Amino acid sequence: MQFIESIGNTALNIIRAIGKLVLFIYLFFQFIFKPRFYFKHNSKYFFEIFISSIPIIALTGIFSGMVLALQSYTGFSRFSAESAIPNIVVLTLTRELGPVLTGLMISARVGSAIAAEIATMRVTEQIDALKTLNTNYFNYLVTPRVLSLTLAMPIFVTIVDFIGVMGGYVVSVYRLGFNENMYLINTIDFLSFSDYFSGVIKATVFGFIISIISCYNGLYSEKGAFGVGSATTNAVVLSSILILVFNYFLTEIFF
Amino acid sequence: MEIKIEKLSKKFGDNHVLKDINLVIEKNKSTIILGKSGCGKSVLLKLIYQLIENDEGSILYDKKSFVNIDKFGMLFQYGALFDSLTIAENIAFIDFIDSRKNYRNKVINSLKEVGLSTDIYNKYPSEISGGMKKRVALARAIYKNPKVIFLDEPTTGLDPINSDMINELIIRIIRKKKMTAVTITHDIQSALKTGDNYHFLNEGIVEDSGTCKNLLKSKNKRLNDFLLGVKKLQKNK
Repeated sequence: MQFIESIGNTALNIIRAIGKLVLFIYLFFQFIFKPRFYFKHNSKYFFEIFISSIPIIALTGIFSGMVLALQSYTGFSRFSAESAIPNIVVLTLTRELGPVLTGLMISARVGSAIAAEIATMRVTEQIDALKTLNTNYFNYLVTPRVLSLTLAMPIFVTIVDFIGVMGGYVVSVYRLGFNENMYLINTIDFLSFSDYFSGVIKATVFGFIISIISCYNGLYSEKGAFGVGSATTNAVVLSSILILVFNYFLTEIFF
Repeated sequence: MEIKIEKLSKKFGDNHVLKDINLVIEKNKSTIILGKSGCGKSVLLKLIYQLIENDEGSILYDKKSFVNIDKFGMLFQYGALFDSLTIAENIAFIDFIDSRKNYRNKVINSLKEVGLSTDIYNKYPSEISGGMKKRVALARAIYKNPKVIFLDEPTTGLDPINSDMINELIIRIIRKKKMTAVTITHDIQSALKTGDNYHFLNEGIVEDSGTCKNLLKSKNKRLNDFLLGVKKLQKNK
């Protein structure tokens, strides 16, 4: 009986959490039309996040492109189809690996930072202090973070795509002996705007997911150091899972 | 500002935190709210500040049911200073957020008022001591010249010397600025020193009220048990 009760309670808790999250997203869209986002006061913070994310995503891009070229070669050389490597590298990066890997890395780097910061503010009553100072805490904390990350993700993905293709180029030309001009021609000729565009749309959706989930976990964190820790962990785990799930559905749409 | 609370109730789920509260916070007086942890003091403070909504009853501010919260100031238990902002930006937050830049003199006056050096103007909260943080938080609370100041455990986490200093500061500021003060505290010495009136909350109801001069003479058993408990705790410390 207790077992069934615990299943019921868990189900209820999940439904409650989903309901709260939906309300939170509704609040975001409601506040987005209230023109007070305090961007100026958050600009230093966003600049730091943007700059500090570049090295991580650059490394992600270059090594993904390099590994992709090597692994593709292993497979395609068996069918004498090595010439397809530039196409595979660029398509896989722009359509799939670029947005997904960037999403996962940004969720770990930026999402965790957002969740930890807002959760700490909640635990130390800084959010209550904002309310007492007649400041809309949602527009001060949530709206600028969500908008910034949603808009920054396509830029991040463009950087990853470019650096990734260059990684593939370096390995293919200097390690696998490809002709450099042919590699670049094959890369550019086979890439259509829709390939890049589908990746950018994915990145925008992932940016929204990471920021909204991180802000939600931060704002509704439990008290104490444990609360901050679990808010951060939940933000990264949940946004990573959602990135993978939404990636499938978005791929279905752009298939 | 006089604040009159009538038949105020607040529930969180099945937890009835405040039940039928009736009390008056007199204009330009210092009112102390006493009670054990979890008795509903902080919820009462948030209700008066209009940060949360009540389920039943009413709160009247000078006979009006609503007041702009710009007329209130709040000192939080642990200061609640914004870590990413400088001391000046923290104190002048309402001007800083509105991108007004001419707050320097006002901040310097506020710092002087709470007995702090202007050297900390550009420092961050992590660079100053706990006692200083509390005084900066007090400077932020009084920056907009509120009519009512709410003080949540103002001496928590401070050593006796700093506690005494904060108490003196509070008395001086509320008298000078003719403010109404509402203080939540467990610190009896602080209550006796800074308060005019007290209300003792127990399990969501007002058990006892009176003047702070007569606090130790109260015949309410639960209040006396509470006072005895606090004294024992202070002795053990």
